[in-house]
Amino acid sequence: MKIELAGHQLELLPDRAVWWPGQEAVLLADVHLGKDQVFRRQGLAVPVGVLEQDLDRLELLIEETGAKRLIILGDLIHAPPHPDDDWPDRIGQWRAELDHIEIDLVLGNHDRDLSTWLHQWQIDGHETLLELDGMLLMHEWRPRLPAPGLSGHLHPGARLKTRREQLRLPAYLLDSSPGREHLVLPAFGRFTGLMDEVEFPWDRRFVTTGQRVLPLP
Amino acid sequence: MSAPQSVPQAGSIEALFKRRGWPVFDFQREAWAAFAAGESGLIHAPTGSGKTLAAWGGPLAECLNAPPNRLSYLWITPLRALANDTTEQLNRPLAALGLDWRVATRTGDTSASERRRISKQPPPALVTTPESLSLMLSYADSRQRLGRLRGVVVDEWHELLGSKRGVLLELALARLRAINPGLPVWGLSATLGNVDEARTALLGPTNPGRLIAGRMPREIQVDTLLPPSIERFPWAGRTGLPQLPGVLNYLQAARSTLLFTNTRSQAELWFQAIQAVVPWPDRVLLHHGSIDRKARAEAEERLRRGELKCVVATSSLDLGVDFSPVDQVLQIGSPKGIARLIQRAGRSGHQPGQTSRLVCVPTHALEILEVAAARRRIDERRVEARRPLAGSLDVAAQHLVTRALGGGFTEAEALAELRDTHAFAELSDLEWRWLLEFITRGGPALKAYPGFQKVKVDGGVFHVPNRRIASLHRMSVGTITADGHLQVRFMKGRSLGQIEERFITRLKPGERFVFAGRLLTLAKVKDMTAYVRAASGGKAAVPRWSGGRLPLSTLLADAVLEMMDEANGNRLDPDLKPIAELLELQKERSALPAPDRLLIEQIESREGHHLYAFPFAGRLAHEGLAALLAWRLGREAPQSYSMTVNDYGIELVGDAPFELDESRCRVLLSPLHLEPDLLRALNAAEMARHRFRDIARIAGLVFQGYPGRGKQMRQIQASSGLMFDMLSEHDPDNLLLTLARREVLESEMELSRIRATLERARSQTLVLRQPGRLSPLAFPLWADRLRSRVSSEDFERRVERMLATLEPGS
Repeated sequence: MKIELAGHQLELLPDRAVWWPGQEAVLLADVHLGKDQVFRRQGLAVPVGVLEQDLDRLELLIEETGAKRLIILGDLIHAPPHPDDDWPDRIGQWRAELDHIEIDLVLGNHDRDLSTWLHQWQIDGHETLLELDGMLLMHEWRPRLPAPGLSGHLHPGARLKTRREQLRLPAYLLDSSPGREHLVLPAFGRFTGLMDEVEFPWDRRFVTTGQRVLPLP
Repeated sequence: MSAPQSVPQAGSIEALFKRRGWPVFDFQREAWAAFAAGESGLIHAPTGSGKTLAAWGGPLAECLNAPPNRLSYLWITPLRALANDTTEQLNRPLAALGLDWRVATRTGDTSASERRRISKQPPPALVTTPESLSLMLSYADSRQRLGRLRGVVVDEWHELLGSKRGVLLELALARLRAINPGLPVWGLSATLGNVDEARTALLGPTNPGRLIAGRMPREIQVDTLLPPSIERFPWAGRTGLPQLPGVLNYLQAARSTLLFTNTRSQAELWFQAIQAVVPWPDRVLLHHGSIDRKARAEAEERLRRGELKCVVATSSLDLGVDFSPVDQVLQIGSPKGIARLIQRAGRSGHQPGQTSRLVCVPTHALEILEVAAARRRIDERRVEARRPLAGSLDVAAQHLVTRALGGGFTEAEALAELRDTHAFAELSDLEWRWLLEFITRGGPALKAYPGFQKVKVDGGVFHVPNRRIASLHRMSVGTITADGHLQVRFMKGRSLGQIEERFITRLKPGERFVFAGRLLTLAKVKDMTAYVRAASGGKAAVPRWSGGRLPLSTLLADAVLEMMDEANGNRLDPDLKPIAELLELQKERSALPAPDRLLIEQIESREGHHLYAFPFAGRLAHEGLAALLAWRLGREAPQSYSMTVNDYGIELVGDAPFELDESRCRVLLSPLHLEPDLLRALNAAEMARHRFRDIARIAGLVFQGYPGRGKQMRQIQASSGLMFDMLSEHDPDNLLLTLARREVLESEMELSRIRATLERARSQTLVLRQPGRLSPLAFPLWADRLRSRVSSEDFERRVERMLATLEPGS
């Protein structure tokens, strides 16, 4: 689904990421790697596997788009790694296989105590935002931004309701008001939930079924 | 019946009761004697017939002989709202008997300070709930605290039977039996079709116990309120409000009336309607399970004092303690089951043993048929069964963690306890291993759950070393009762009751709705509370609670078919005279179904081609059957159908003619491959996902903590749907997923009923008709506009279709 945001051509991809051809970059948000491990430590039996799945999906995205750059709009991880955790090393391995691309992370509220790891993973961390070609890339949107941009954090979902059934799908939220155009991305990680009610003044929404991105009327 | 042996001190009990003017019956004496002899058992009778005293007299007599100095008796009640009333009732004879102690209460509502007091100085007897009992079993000193019991009473056992709370209680009782050898356990239950099974479920498969029948009312009389004009009486419909004038006549004529409805929304509607019309609106009250306890207690008290003319109620009044009898009982719509009818009728009449009377108010023509059928079965004294659940591994998992916390367990002793319950008597070794692996490792495959910690094994003892995990578990122990309820409170603080979250989330602040008999405006929702203000006038939404409508029981359905068969053979039951013409019309236009005749109609309309089938298997089973038929039809010629069901039958609507002949019908109705076909026909995956919500919570896969309580809490918030997806993708053999699928088939679809229906169809004559116009039986299906579509379409198509017909405000 191709859209235009403040003069920039963007493509909303079915696997919860945005392709920005002008920058040859893939943008996504809220991966929450390692979340399953946090749950297991608290006695909640989540099986391992979602980390691999998310890493595979990332790899596929980069392959299919031919991207030279991956920009993560916050919450790459769910919580700072425990000394016994395996997954940080796994990320390192995955990163090593993609050494031809640049990876940036705009830090989100879950990305804490990460500087050593970011260094090891060869990922550039950015404190609050990353400005690129006039667009503000950040983790969490706030009102009255000085320029158009993209963000995550809200884990937006849209509830489709007909007379007999109901369905919730991950959604892209677009505010196309001139001067403050902004796109909120759905959470990329598979082990994340959906929030129906979010504080964001969207005027258009797009849902993804996993295969296609469809506009909501 | 042999004369009960005389019991030491029972004489004083009996003397006391006589002095108080409380009657003493033989079945009570039998129960007291059995208790004194150390026996266990089940006492069954309609509510309010002296069952409480039958169970309490034994312990009382024992106390007169041997004063208790530890926690000696547990009285388990299913509703914590009733617990205080029960405690009061149990306390009443104590002073008069010269006993200087009092029964205490311990439930989720009990304050922390009271709980500490109970812990420090255990009362001799405690009224509690299954959940609180589980909580007590989770403390390290549970064995000391609960190891000197002299008796346990389980009240309203029929209410717990057939639910997971009942399974949890079975497990708790097995533990109590293990640490109190020879413990007498007594159950109190309403009339049931399967009392033997109910007793086994309560006492465990190998423990003997008595069955004691309480008093049955001498006679139960069921009258029907017929509408003044049967021609204008609708063939379909649900509220029944057109019968209001007739109902008002009955209300005026009696001093006090209980008006029962089948759903809470109906109760709210009827309450509003009555209040609006009668000259004594302040003497009408509303009573249902979601209403605040104080308001309910007030209703009960005012009724007792004779201040109320009419109480509009739902099943909240089916349960419970001595609710003073009223002059008459009215039932709006069909009671859908005989047991319910008997319970409700029993609320009328002031003298014990007197005739119980109930007036049924049909809401549409065919309900007249159901009421007549109910009358027939009551005369035969036949009542439905409530089947206990078996194999609920989620409950077992929760209980095992509780045991691990509460002093620890060894494999052998825990397995023995589990197999000493009806629910897990057949637990396989595979399932047992899976359970142990689930609680210690998260799952069977060693690699699939690295870092998981919950229960640890040290020297053969299973225990929970981590305090945080222990406290998380205790916070969620027993969260089996449905979640997602919000408190409803006035802005100024007074609570009105509880309402389902699902309803409130559909409202926006400022919108009006009816609840607890009042017109309210939603002000805001905060912290699991909906704050409201009184509203005046204007359109309002009436909340529809889920789980409101029970399907027609097999017992009643079969009686209905019998009566239609008789009508066919010109032996019309006199009760059915009002609808003789309607039945004649059905016969003429199409045919009348019967126990040995399955009716199938096909007609064409502007909407498309309609297929009607009338198996009379109840709404739930029909939902599965409809999906099955549609799927089997769709296999031959791909098409999607619209389907509607009710208690009598099924409607399928498609674009092409059905063109069914007898042999094709036989194939469609074949019981072969029922389960695999059904799984494919239903949107089984999605239904299982929905079903998984309870399973995930019970088994400790999701934690329903207090939202926003600290960073650590927030980090582990996840929905059950998400868990379901994770397991489906990364541990598909997980037995909890299997459980979800099985529950979809058995509990939601009534698989056994579907199977029985198809088996029966094999020997039935298939009556195929093309009536040309809608028949009276088909009409209610056609009129019910809630149609669902068969989901054999793929996900993409489904989303696109939904996008095309979205409701406003999506």
